[in-house]
Amino acid sequence: MKTLFFIINKSLQGNVCGQEFLDMALMAAAFDQKVVLLFEGEGVNALVKNQCPDGLQLKNIVPVLNALPIYDINDVLVEEESMTMWGLVEEELEISVHALSRRAIKDQLNLADHVFSF
Amino acid sequence: MKISIQINASPYQYQAADTAWHFIQAAIAKGHKVYRIFFYHDGVYNAYRDSRPPGDERDIVKRWSGLQLEHDVDLVVCVSSAQRRGLLEQSVALKVGGYEQALSDGFRIAGLGLLMEAVIESDRHITFGA
Repeated sequence: MKTLFFIINKSLQGNVCGQEFLDMALMAAAFDQKVVLLFEGEGVNALVKNQCPDGLQLKNIVPVLNALPIYDINDVLVEEESMTMWGLVEEELEISVHALSRRAIKDQLNLADHVFSF
Repeated sequence: MKISIQINASPYQYQAADTAWHFIQAAIAKGHKVYRIFFYHDGVYNAYRDSRPPGDERDIVKRWSGLQLEHDVDLVVCVSSAQRRGLLEQSVALKVGGYEQALSDGFRIAGLGLLMEAVIESDRHITFGA
């Protein structure tokens, strides 16, 4: 089993890539790999509650976020500095996350076999 | 070393397909094995048979087809990315009434499972294009 890191550092709704990127993470989990999701930069906004992308005729990713434990994806990290930058606190997020400092995330990244971003 | 490649960007507009090509040439020359190239997102535009660049320019699509022929590299195009962009496999095109000859020689269309299998099987997986 490999440890695969998926870094979400852009808005998931801006284009279809975000959705296809999450598909990759889910597929990795379906192949019994250890999947770690990291939200940083603008990407932290993907986790905010009460999103209504229907008006843009885009798919809502919230059901996917809520289904992560079913795929055995339990490591969802957010970067503390990014949360501060976007003025967010954990209570405003849709799912429970592990908030880590940039330095601590760097240590985690060193443990990954592969790192993906989009 | 066993290497797999992922290409996310369309040819000609970005340098990703060119950089990947040169990387692969160098890797093969050094005796590494390129296990699979997976075309994802706009990377699927690398597989359009009817792309016709001006005669004095490199032909990126033909270059990939040649790579498959010469080194038996597995060229896989993501099915959902491809269908979103109007690139259909012959059997699908026949069924839904699309263009049947869209895919260039040497490419095949398959799902994300083949990407993951490549990631798991390879010592290195390298992504080109954001």
